[in-house]
Amino acid sequence: MSKAKRIHPLKIRPAPRPAGLVLDAQLHLLDRQMLDVDGVPVSTVDDVELSGPEPDERIPEGAEAPVISALLTGPVLGTRIFGGRPPSSRLIRIPWSVVAGVDTVVKLGVRSDSLDASWVERWLRHHVIPRIPGGRHDPH
Amino acid sequence: MKRLLGVALGILTAIGGFVDIGDLVTNAVVGSRFGLSLAWVVVIGVLGICLFANMSGRVAAVSGRATFEVIRERMGPRAGLANLGASFLINLMTVTAEIGGIALALQLASGVSYMLWVPFALLAVWLVIWRVKFSIMENVTGLVGLSLVVFAVALFLLKPDWGALAGQAFTPSVSGEESVGAYWYYAIALFGAAMTPYEVFFFSSGAVEEGWKVKDLVQSRINVLMGFPLGGFLSIAIAACAAVVLLPAGISVTTLSEVVLPVAQAGGQLALAVLILGIVAATFGAALETTLSSGYTLAQFFGWPWGKFRRPAAASRFHVAMMVVLLAGVAVLATGVDPILVTEYSVVFSAIALPLTYLPILIVANDPQYMGKHVNGRAVNVAGLVYLVIILVASLAAIPLMIATGAGA
Repeated sequence: MSKAKRIHPLKIRPAPRPAGLVLDAQLHLLDRQMLDVDGVPVSTVDDVELSGPEPDERIPEGAEAPVISALLTGPVLGTRIFGGRPPSSRLIRIPWSVVAGVDTVVKLGVRSDSLDASWVERWLRHHVIPRIPGGRHDPH
Repeated sequence: MKRLLGVALGILTAIGGFVDIGDLVTNAVVGSRFGLSLAWVVVIGVLGICLFANMSGRVAAVSGRATFEVIRERMGPRAGLANLGASFLINLMTVTAEIGGIALALQLASGVSYMLWVPFALLAVWLVIWRVKFSIMENVTGLVGLSLVVFAVALFLLKPDWGALAGQAFTPSVSGEESVGAYWYYAIALFGAAMTPYEVFFFSSGAVEEGWKVKDLVQSRINVLMGFPLGGFLSIAIAACAAVVLLPAGISVTTLSEVVLPVAQAGGQLALAVLILGIVAATFGAALETTLSSGYTLAQFFGWPWGKFRRPAAASRFHVAMMVVLLAGVAVLATGVDPILVTEYSVVFSAIALPLTYLPILIVANDPQYMGKHVNGRAVNVAGLVYLVIILVASLAAIPLMIATGAGA
């Protein structure tokens, strides 16, 4: 693939200011805690997946603006710290459609147990905790 | 009346919970070598922990966010992970030291080698974490830990020359045979022992565990501002006892027996029995706090469900992580390493990691998005900045001093 000529960022017209709440992905999404509909912690937002063109791909005039397709969690955190890109099949996605609100925490509108993101939690709950007496009772 | 009782209970548990194996050993070592000439460090350390514990408690009560969640949000994954690594290692060292401390205290009481008590201590700590409610755990260990007041009683029974003690404390100087480097090395160790980061992780997570709201802030402030300074007094009493008995006799502190020697000399067997009870409770309480703190930091960094208010099945990763931490601590002890030595190093490493913990708290306590109208006032910010400078200096000086003085030898 021939490398497309980069346009200097200063030559791009600034996008029109969108109506409504403006979120800064870095400031308001990344590394925020996600809570499920019952307030149970699900995970932290380890990365954000955007729809639209790949890096270095030519963007046709009048193309749709990219949107957040999913919040990512799991091993993708390692790539944010050490660099690299995990294959798409290895990403654990929380689809943006289940996000109910963004505040100091990201609120989801579904239960934690219905998401792939909490599989380790469920695995330990079903395979380790039951082997130890008392794990299913409230502490007293 | 009930409210008053709650306040009293909170203060008492804060006193009893303030002293752990790090404070016990470091203060006794310092007292036996430098007298009370480092008492000023305890005062600075206690003021610092009051300031930042209060701040992290306020952040937790207002925003519902515990310290480590905030650390990652504010510092990003890289610095957050570095911080997690450092905090977690220090926590692990402290867990090891505290479990060793429980076992050493039981050895003192029974004559049976501490190595045989380690598995017992491990099981007891884990059972409490697995099954006992947070508030009961806190109150019982804190109240029984109050028996450490026997250090203060012993000091009176020893009838020391109060003028000489005050002279050491108020006009600090390095005595003849000690080096200036060792003096400052132990200054950092004492500072680290008073301001150990786990106390802040534990305090802020505890606020979430107990469901603090803004209206509970007054009570938490009273607990901290009364309890911690009184705990600091206990620390100074430990150093003073050592200064009165061990320093003139030239006895150096290498085991727990020397730490308790002044009390045994002053008050006999009864005082010793009370003291051992106090040490077991204090180290047991601290073992619980450090184990929970290592679970808290991991869970909050990765966003797992955590907390003792959930049953273990509903916070499975949190509980499994704590089991692994406890087993790792016991594995370290099983190598035969001296728990007192682990303690001495853990407080210095705590001092090194302090800036990583306290800077993000200060930043978030000023963020209106989290704090609304409860952001820091100007006076608190000035004090916080002054402390950050002190913390940074102590942190940077720790390793060079450790190398130069051969760890204070």
